[in-house]
Order: sequence, then structure tokens, then C-alpha cells
Amino acid sequence: MNVFQKQLQGITRRHFLHGGTAGLGAIALSSLLAGERAQATPTEAGPGPLSPRPSHHPARAKNVIYLHMAGSPPQQELFDFKPKLRELNDQDCPDEFLEGERFAFIKGHPQLLGSPYEFAHHGQSGLMLSELLPNLGEVADDLCVIKSMWTDQFNHAPAQLMLYTGTSQFGKPSMGSWVTYGLGSENQDLPGFVVLVSGDKVPSAGKSVWGSGFLPSVFQGVQCRTSGEPVLYVTNPKGMDRAGRRRSLDAIRDLNEMQLAEVGDPETLTRIEQYELAYRMQVSVPEVMDISSESVATHAMYGSDPSQPSFANNCLLARRMVESGVRFVQLFDWGWDVHGTGKTTDLISQLPKKCRQTERPIAALITDLKQRGLLDETLIVWSGEFGRTPMNEKRDNSKFLGRDHHPHSMSMFMAGGGVKGGFSYGATDELGYFATENRMFVNDLQATILHLLGLDPYEFHVPYQGLKQRLIGPTEDPKIHHDLIA
Amino acid sequence: MSHALRPLFALALIAALPASVTAAELPEHVDFVRDVQPILEASCYDCHAGGTAEGGIRWDRKSAFIGGDSGEVAVEPGQPEESSLIARVRGEDELMPPEDEGEPLSESQIALLERWIEQGAEWPDTAQAVDEGPRHWSLIKPEKHALPTTAHQDWVRNSIDPFVAARMEAEGLKPSPEADRYTLVRRLYLDIIGIPPTLDQVDRFVNDPRPDAYERLVDRLLDSRHYGERWARMWLDLARYADTQGYEKDNRRTIHRYRDWVIGAFNRDLPFDRFTIEQMAGDMLPVPTTEQYIATAFHRNTMTNTEGGTDDEEFRSAAVVDRVNTTGQVWLGLTVGCAQCHSHKYDPITQREYYELYAFLNQTADNDQPNEAPVLSSPLGEVIGEIDALLVKIARQKRALAEYRSAELAAAQTAWATQLAEQGPSPPPKLSTWQFIGPFVAESYGAALSTSFPPEQEIDLTQTYDDGQLRWEAKPEYVDNKVHELSGDYSSFYFYRTIEASVPGPLDLSFGSDDSIKVWLNGRVVHDKQIGRSAFPDQDRISVQLRQGENQLLVKIVNATGKGGFFFRALGGELPKNVVEIAQKSPESRTTDEQDALAAYYRTIAPLLKPLRDQLFETESRLQSLRAKSGGPTTPIMLELEDFKRRETHVMVRGSFLTKGPRVEPGVPASLHPFPEDVPRNRLGLAYWLVDKNNPLTARVMVNRFWEQMFGRGLVATSEDFGTQGVPPTHPELLDRLAIEFMEQGWSMKKLVKHIAMSATYRQSSHTTPALMEKDPENRWLARGPRFRLEAEMVRDQALASSGLLSRKMFGKSVMPPQPPGVWQVVYSGDKWETSVGEDRYRRGLYTFWRRTSPYPSMIAFDATSREICTVKRTRTNTPLAALVTLNDPVYVEAAQALARRVVEDGGSNLEDRVTFAFRRCLVRPPRAAELNRIVALYETELAHYRQHPEEAKQMATDVLGEAPAEMDVVELAAWTVVANVLLNLDETLTKG
Repeated sequence: MNVFQKQLQGITRRHFLHGGTAGLGAIALSSLLAGERAQATPTEAGPGPLSPRPSHHPARAKNVIYLHMAGSPPQQELFDFKPKLRELNDQDCPDEFLEGERFAFIKGHPQLLGSPYEFAHHGQSGLMLSELLPNLGEVADDLCVIKSMWTDQFNHAPAQLMLYTGTSQFGKPSMGSWVTYGLGSENQDLPGFVVLVSGDKVPSAGKSVWGSGFLPSVFQGVQCRTSGEPVLYVTNPKGMDRAGRRRSLDAIRDLNEMQLAEVGDPETLTRIEQYELAYRMQVSVPEVMDISSESVATHAMYGSDPSQPSFANNCLLARRMVESGVRFVQLFDWGWDVHGTGKTTDLISQLPKKCRQTERPIAALITDLKQRGLLDETLIVWSGEFGRTPMNEKRDNSKFLGRDHHPHSMSMFMAGGGVKGGFSYGATDELGYFATENRMFVNDLQATILHLLGLDPYEFHVPYQGLKQRLIGPTEDPKIHHDLIA
Repeated sequence: MSHALRPLFALALIAALPASVTAAELPEHVDFVRDVQPILEASCYDCHAGGTAEGGIRWDRKSAFIGGDSGEVAVEPGQPEESSLIARVRGEDELMPPEDEGEPLSESQIALLERWIEQGAEWPDTAQAVDEGPRHWSLIKPEKHALPTTAHQDWVRNSIDPFVAARMEAEGLKPSPEADRYTLVRRLYLDIIGIPPTLDQVDRFVNDPRPDAYERLVDRLLDSRHYGERWARMWLDLARYADTQGYEKDNRRTIHRYRDWVIGAFNRDLPFDRFTIEQMAGDMLPVPTTEQYIATAFHRNTMTNTEGGTDDEEFRSAAVVDRVNTTGQVWLGLTVGCAQCHSHKYDPITQREYYELYAFLNQTADNDQPNEAPVLSSPLGEVIGEIDALLVKIARQKRALAEYRSAELAAAQTAWATQLAEQGPSPPPKLSTWQFIGPFVAESYGAALSTSFPPEQEIDLTQTYDDGQLRWEAKPEYVDNKVHELSGDYSSFYFYRTIEASVPGPLDLSFGSDDSIKVWLNGRVVHDKQIGRSAFPDQDRISVQLRQGENQLLVKIVNATGKGGFFFRALGGELPKNVVEIAQKSPESRTTDEQDALAAYYRTIAPLLKPLRDQLFETESRLQSLRAKSGGPTTPIMLELEDFKRRETHVMVRGSFLTKGPRVEPGVPASLHPFPEDVPRNRLGLAYWLVDKNNPLTARVMVNRFWEQMFGRGLVATSEDFGTQGVPPTHPELLDRLAIEFMEQGWSMKKLVKHIAMSATYRQSSHTTPALMEKDPENRWLARGPRFRLEAEMVRDQALASSGLLSRKMFGKSVMPPQPPGVWQVVYSGDKWETSVGEDRYRRGLYTFWRRTSPYPSMIAFDATSREICTVKRTRTNTPLAALVTLNDPVYVEAAQALARRVVEDGGSNLEDRVTFAFRRCLVRPPRAAELNRIVALYETELAHYRQHPEEAKQMATDVLGEAPAEMDVVELAAWTVVANVLLNLDETLTKG
């Protein structure tokens, strides 16, 4: 690099931070850095938008693995043990609950539905878990189960948006985008925010749940695909090998440098760097996505199989990602929308199947991270987008057991990353209809996650369209739930 | 704000005072100025006075009485217990002032306020804050400033330049030299039509010795049909145009006629005020044409939710919210969306005002239906003329019907209304479930028509025919107002039902049939039509006379061959509720709106007007059948509800459609220009208000948008926010001048583009130096020409154009160029990406199918958006993922392969010529020596490599594009493909410089 280029690079870095390179997002970033986080000037780490940046306060978690059970699992069958519901099984749901209620599918006066599954205490903590979760029982002392989550949306797409972007409307950045925007990522050769999807379906709200909204698109989630190319267009054209790509990139770089010398736009330098990064990604992405190098024992633990895309593979990939320094890994698994309209959506066949597919890999992920000393710095979050009704849906008099969408109570859990293990937080009423104790709204969850990552959820914002845009929304209502933090 | 004040009650009630304060401590008569205002000033003004109206309430004006966003009455004169002011300062409700904002009021202060309210809450007009008018720069009408003088007078080319030069001087900068002709021709092509010039076009301009060569080029480009395509792209982001409905199912939507309308409107330079009016309210123009109806699809680009259990009203109101927000963004450059839930301290719009705007847009017929109703079937070609002639006729007949005046009609209406008020509405006739029997099959269509099958002779629902194969069946699924399918060739089908009438009287019946239809009422034939047609709603309408008690209706449908069909509805059975309510009011207490609604409804039933209605119906039927016959894609359109079906608009507390606050009427924000007096207070009027010459925002916002497209940065950098939180303009006087000239030039967008393109400012070289970068990294002071990355569509279009693949076909259904398998995985939808074949593979980017939940991935990598909501400004990023697209996406590989073949075919015979040819096809200018040498070196290395690897050579040269012509050497092609791939990835290629 000659002196001229060095000089330009210095400008580039300031340029990026002061608002040139990436348009609005960079303006926002510059004010973010110049304002609340003036100390956070990247130096040695390089000038890229994904360079790691220090947090507001010491972080409890460095990385996040968010396991989303898309469609929303029934809390009554998994975490929220409700003996009363079983006692009142098949009786009419009391009127006081139904007044003014709207349901997605339930019509007429619904009947209560007790869980057909048994619960038992697990671990030293004695956490109550369903018989559908035997492997999670083994790691019960690492789980922080929250039974008092609630939301205000009862359709999939808006509820997923609410969970990931803080509002049910389209157009806002997702949680992973916010986090990589705020903290950067540890590995510059991989995307900072990776999305892995299993169950053959993307979530209901589409790619908006990992979109970057008004943040620069470099912060949007990159979907790594488990069949076909791991990242779109990462493979060279047929007939061009890696050496050939290197030769052509050398030519691109040489020609771009001539252009740079002629025109003097630092953006050209950035482009040269991005092409080099693309070249490195062509190796690093397939490498991190290749699980065939994992040991037989590891595959046995996860139930993963390199030849067959699965949620188990994605859990193993999630570990490989955080190990490689990816900041935010988002998993979506489709198939939890257990309405009970048939065998593939009921509590007796479908739900145990989904549990079998997922709970062992999750337990393995927790164990694996722990063994590698990564659990302390990795926050695992498991949830759906809303809860399910304590009542049987019985759509069109279906004989299959199922539950409808339910915003007023849902269960979720977290593990690692600074949360209390073997801990049960919050509660619902006797029928599990409403969250009652330590009620935790979705914005509270976002606030708590940001806090664990060392970001101040109230201060962490981007000015856009005349507003201080925040993940947790415009009001001061959301609160950090300190009681579940270890 | 324009709220009327509540009448002040003069009655002073003396109530018991709180025990803690003795009456003696309070003045006998509370004086507002002496006693109350100081309290408000000390405790409330911080957040509720002047420009700050937190919660939508200002305590420096008497209008505070009616309250703010909460919908509660703040002061009810005479009744402190009904006044939320008291509840708030007592902390019975949300405590005011809030804990962290100030000390709570003392008991004696509260007692003073209470007594003041008890005594009638007098507030002299003289003690009100006088509004000093809008202070924020963008809310003040633009002024035409004189051109500043500058030392660079010789540099100046038009009225843009003196402003820019003056500002540069102030910053210690000077203009850059004019860019060379190669740069200019590429810049103009990309900016004006969005595709690069061909080599011929380049050479023609570069070698044009005429002094006005540049202007000629600009004019030529403005006349190009591709101009509309380039600028439609910008508008379609604002219009959130997409080919799917959004939300979970994200089903397809047919709305591409709207996209085509936008392209056409730009091409014929529809003035921006007309452009606005037709999109906002084309359906409400006196005589709307098909094209004007299609224009209204602008606001039908809102999302439709067909997810299970969704409430149509919830998502209808979500669509209206989106329309309000989009209107605010597109025309006013303001984020009005926040006011949906609450008033913000500094925003120019309160929550109440938000819903006053909402009220304008709350009166359209659409309501989140999966079929997108109402839609317009809009044929293409000549038949449009015939259709528009009918539309003119319909408009005339509607006007005749609406404007008919006579004493007789007035008397009849009064008599009808009086009777309605006294007796209430007579219960509508009751229709039983359809009984159905068929098909009775005949030898031929003629026989089926003429044969009198048993049901025509006698209705016996217990009878069976054809050896028990045919029997009467109750068919609840044959609901009214829907076309039902029938099947059977040469077949007759019978429908039977009873109509129970409590009073004798007329009833209108409407039918559709495939094919012929015959109708009996009480045994008498009342309709008989022998015809061959497809079934549509409302093909025939008849009026019948019901007798009291049971009436019997029998319908025979005769189908020739193929599909048959049946449609039925009874018209005007039930009275709208509000009509009854209005009729029950005394005539003098009816508001003008109510009088209009009553008269409008009466005109739909007045016996006197039946001939006029029949004429109208006849024309409408002809229009319908003409449309049905000529086919053509449908387009969802805006359609205003009839006067008597209008919706009430309420403030939605915290933005929830379930929590209704106070009712509001259509109105515009007080901080903006007044609503024009000569336009109706409806959506059409709102459109006129948007393009009113007094509007301080629209013209500024729009010229800034064009500036941003051409310079990469607006004069107002926050083009999405002209509000108080946005960035003020770098050249305010220039912005004003451009805005005024835009209006003076008849809102011509082409003239605006030309004006910018002709300036010396625009023609500058974009070369820069470290010193200049240091001083002005963002080029705010415009001391150099624009240089920034092309937008997503241009990246695609340019690669296709350079390689010669680009199809110049315009308009029509969106296309599906290749996309990797597995990208579309949509929940609850089996919809598949069907890769287009032929030239549709190579269409311009704006014709690419846009699925909101899964947009075309390579465009997203270049910052295109998902189009779920209005996007004012795309971000511009520089990422490895974008690099991977142009390096490896088969679309770009194919372009490289095609360019390679062009090089071999047309690039000349020696290597240098060929390199120059390829280079110029991508970069327009000829290569410099060093560049040429570097590319030659690359070519030779690759040629040597592929000579060693013929299999790879074949793949590299043909794998996407297909077999190469026999006379071409595949190894050579492979090497050229690598060169072309490199050229398509150069910074200069991806950048407009």
C-alpha cells in the first residue's frame, strides 16, 4: 500500500464514521459512536462496519443463539405445569376469560384442555419439565425458564415482527441486526448475523424477521443454507477454480487501484476490501458450514447427520458459528403451529415429533458449549412468537387435540450468557390463561437481552425519520428483568 | 388547531371545598390571569405550550379544554369532577406533572383550579397564546431568492449554479472542471434512462461538434421511452409497489397495470400535480378514465392479510394507517406515523390531526379482502377507447341522477322520510335457502331451452325424476352475491326459493347466468333471456312486485357446453342504519352531511327516478360485458363509498383500532397551509391540498428527491424527514428556488431533470483529492460532480445492456429471471418461482417479480427493499455479499459469457481492439494504456490456463448461456468470459462517476 492509499484509508475510516460510505446508516452510526459511545472508535480492528465495538457496560454474554420454534409451541405441554387445567379438562372455559377476546380460529364457547403429558422435577434445582423434554431435563440446572412472557399479537407474522423488531409493523431492524450494529462481530471473514432455517419453511413474517430495516444492509441476517450453496452466490462459476478467482480478483484490484489513483474516491478502496473479504468468505463460509469434520461422538450427541439437513445440524452449526466469532445466530424451526386440525398439527403426534427433533440437539448444544467453556459467554434463547390457548381449538369439530394462538401467556427459556440456571421465573394463573407474576412483555425480553450483551436498551438508538428508533420501542415501559440475571 | 371551543357555562356552582383547604384561603372569584395561568405556566408549560404539545395538549390556549390524545375532556366548565385536569394533578389518573418533570401541585393550587372550573372556567381570549406561526424552516412557504453573485460567474450555466458557487466560496472551495464527454454521456444515460449508452451512441455524442450537443443529448434522453422506466423505479419504492399481498401467506396480486401507468405517466411528463391527483383520487374525478382508475392503485399497494382468523377491519384500518403514513412521507416528507399513537412534543402534527387526515382516506370500499375487491378489469388496446366512452356516459348519467331536482322529488322524499321515521323501516323480505335440481340433459342447446322440464310445470320438492337420479336439494352453499359454477352440456338447472314479504312492494333482483336464463315469480315469467355468455355479477336486473306473504321464485339456467354459472342478489332490501337514524331526526336538525346522505340514499330507490337509474344500469351493464369480453389484467382500485355508507372516524387510543377515542372529521394539520376553500372536503380535496401552491412541502420534497437521485445526496440529506428532527438543507435558497420553478414550470418533472442536468454543478468532474475529501467527504458543498454506486436495478440493467442481452420490451406481467432454487419457501403457500423463458429472462430490473416476504436476492444485496412499506431512501452499502452477486450469480456469469461472444464477433481482430471493445461496453471510455496492458495480461494468462483445461473452458464459456456458435473457439470464449466478469465487477462499472 503506498502512502497515498494509506492516507486515503485513514480518510475512509473517518469517512465511514462520519457518514459518507453507507448513507443514512453510517450517519446514524457516526452519531451513535460520536454520541453515547464516543470511546468506541475502532482502531486496530480495522475500519469495517462489522469491526468489534465495545459495549456500554461490561457484557455478561458475547454472543446469542436464538432458537425460534416458529408457529409457537404449547407451553402447557412443555414448561407450564397446570394440574388445575387437567382437573377441569373438557369443561367450558370460564366466561370471564372470554369477554372481549378474539381468537384466530376458535369459534363458539371453547372447552379447557388439560395436558396429556406428565411433568417431573429435574436436576438439583428441581425444575418442572414435561416428559416430552427428557434430554433438556439432563441440563435443567442450566435452564432459566420464564413462564410469564406475553405479547399483544396473535397472528404469526405480526407476532414474529413484534418479537424481533419491537413492533408489529414492517420496516424496522431485527434484533440480530441491532446487536451486530451495536457490537460488530469477532470474525471479519464471516457474516456477523447468521440465520439457519429448518423445517423447509421460512418464518411467517418472511425475511423481515432478520431484515436490517433502516440500518445498512450489511447488518441484515445472512441466511446460511444447509443445502445448495451455504450462502447465495458464494460458489465460483463453473469452470473457474479458486486460483482462477484469485487471478481475476488480482486484476480487479489492480484496475481498481488505477481508478483510485485517477479519481481518488476512498469508496473504491472500500470496494477493494469488500472483494477481498468476499474471497475469504468463499472459503470461510463453506468451512464453518461443513460439519462432516465433527467427531462421531459429537454427531451422536446432537443427532446430527451431514447428509441430511435438520434442526440438529443447525444446532451444531450454531456452536461452530459462535466458536468462530459470529455475533448472533438465529435458528428458525417450522412445524410448531399445533392447532389440532389433523395428525400433523396435533398434540399427540406432531408435538412429540417436534420435541424429538429438537430437544436433544438443544441439550447437546448446551452441554457442548459448556464443555468448551463457551456457555458463559453465549446466551441461548428458546421461544415461539406467542403462547397457545389453555382451550382445545376443535376447529370444525376436529377430533385431534390442539391449541389456538394465545398472546396472554407463553413460556420460554434462556441458558448461559449470564442468566440464572435451574431457575423458574414468573407464573401464570391457575388455568395458565394470563401471565400473572413477573409479567414479561416481549419488549422486556429485548431489553433484558440487550442488557446482558452490555448494551443499554434505553440509550441504544438510531435517529431515523425524526425519532430515536430503538429495538424496545418508543415508550419507557419496557424493563430489564434483573431477577433472572445471575 | 381548529377545534371549536365548548360553550362556557356561566353558572358558577359553589361546591364544598376539600377539607384541607379552608374557603377563606381562596379568592372569592378566581381570576384566570391572576390565579390560574401562573400555575399552568410554572407546572405545565414545559411540555404543553408553544411548539410543544406533548400528548396533543397545549395549556397556553383555551382549546386545551377538549383534551388531548387520551380522549378525555380536560376541563368541563362547572364540573371539576368531570375534568381530567383535576384527576391528573391529583394523581388519580396519570400524575401531572410526572414525578421526574416537576413538583406535584399543592393542595391549595389544586383547590384554586377546582374553584376556577366550578365558577365556569373563564379564560379570556386575550390570555391565549397567539400562534406565532410555524417556525420550522420547511413549514414556511418557499421564497424566490435572487441569484447570489459569485466570483465564478463564468462558470455559471443556469440558476442552480450561482447558489452552489456562492456556498462553495463561503467554504473556501472552488468548482471542479467539467467532466470529459465520455463521463458525461455515461452519467446522463444512467441518470436519465438508467441504462448505459451503446458504443455508437457514445461516439455520436463525443464527436458531435455542435455547441448544443450536450443539450441535444439531454433532450433526446428525456424523449426516450426508457426515461419512464428509470424514474418509475424511484416512484415504485415510494408507492411500495409489489406483486404480492404481504403478511404470512403473501399471495400473488395482479397490479402491474399500475406499474405501467407510472412508467407511462413519466414518459408523457404528466405534470406532478395531475400525477398526484390521479393517484390519490383519480376515481373521484368528474369523468374518470380507465387510466385514472388504474392510477388509484397507488394506495392499493397496501398489504392484505389473509392469515387465519384475522379481523378484516383490523387490517383494513392497518391499510388506511399505511396510506396516511405514505401520503405524509411521499408528499410532505414528514413522518406522521408516530402521531398514530400519541402526539410528540415537537412534531408538526398531533394525534387528533393524524386521525383527521385518516378520515379523508377512511371512506374507500376496499376492506382487506383476499380477492382485493374492488378491482377493475382493464383491457389493453383499442377497446379502452370504447370503455372510456362508456365511462363518460356513466359519469354523465350519474350526474343527471344526482343533480335531478324537482318539487315532486323533494315532496316524495319528505313523504318517504316521514313514513320511515314514523313506522321505522319495514322488515326486508325474507329469502329462503335455494332449492336446486339439475341437470336435466337434452339433445341440444335448443332442446334444453325449449323443453319444459317438470319443475316448470309444478314445484314439488319431494318429487324425484330420472329414476330417482334427480331430486330437489337444499343448497345453502349457493349464497347470494357470488357466481356459482354449474357443469353439464345442453343442460337445464332449476333454482327455487320463497320470498316472504311483510308488506307488498317492489324488489329489484339481479342475475348473472351462463348461458341462458328464465325467471318466474309466482308462476309468471318475469325475465327471459336467450344468450351465450359467461356468468358475471349483475348481468341482468329486473324489478318485480311482491305480494304480501309468500312469493315463489323459480330460475332456470340453461348451459350450452363447458362451464355454466349462476349469480343472484336482491337489491335494496335492507336500509342502512344511519339512513333510518337521519330520517328520525327533525329535518331542521339534520346536518348538511346528513341531508346529503339521506338524499343520496333516496335517489337509489325513488320511483320517480327509476328511468334514470335504468339508463345508468343499462350503460353499466354494457361496460361490464365489454370488459368481460375483452379480458385484460385486473387492478385493485380505490373507490369511494356512497354518501350513505360513509364510515365514522375516531381517534384510536394508543393506535389500537379497538379503542375508540373522540370522533373526528376530515381535516388538515394546523401547522400546514389551510385547506383550499373551493374543493370538496374529501380524498379528492386532500389531493388538491397536497399540490396547493401554498403547500410549503410538496414541491420542496419532490425537487429534493430528484436532486438526490442525480447527486446521490439531497439538498436536504434526510429526504425522508423534513421535520424538526431532520437535517436542514445545505442550500436552502437553491431548494426554494427549485421548488418554486418546479411549480412555475407547470410541475413538469422532465423540465426539472433537464434543469439539473444542464447546470454546471452537475457537469463537474467527480475526481477528488485527499485535501478535498478531508474538507468535504460527503460532497455537501458540491465542489465536484456526483460519484456513487448504482442502484440495484441499474446494476442488473447495465450488465445485461453491456453484454447485449437486455430486452427492451416494456410493460406487462412481472417476470421471473433466474434465481437460485430454494429461495422461495413460503409458509402455507405452494407458490413456485417459475423461471421466465425467452426475452423475459433479460428484462429490466423493474419488471422483476417482487415478492414481499422473499424479494429477488441479488437486488436485496444491492439495497433494494422488500416494499412492504413506503421507502423514501435506499441505503447504499458496500459489502462482500454484493460482490459475490456480480462475481458469481449465474445472471452475471451469463452476461459475461454473452459479452465474451460479442467481443469475438464484433470486437475487431487484434487483441487490443477487442479489449478496448469489451472495456468500452462496460465503462464507455477507452482504456488507458496501463489498463489495457493489465487486461491483455489477464486475457493471456486465462487463455493459457484454459488451453490446458478444455473441459473447464467449456463450462466457463457456456454453462449458463448455452452452446457456443460452432465457429467460435470455446477456449478463447472462456478467457473472454473471465475478462468480462472482471470488467462487470470494476468499481468504475458499478459506480456512476
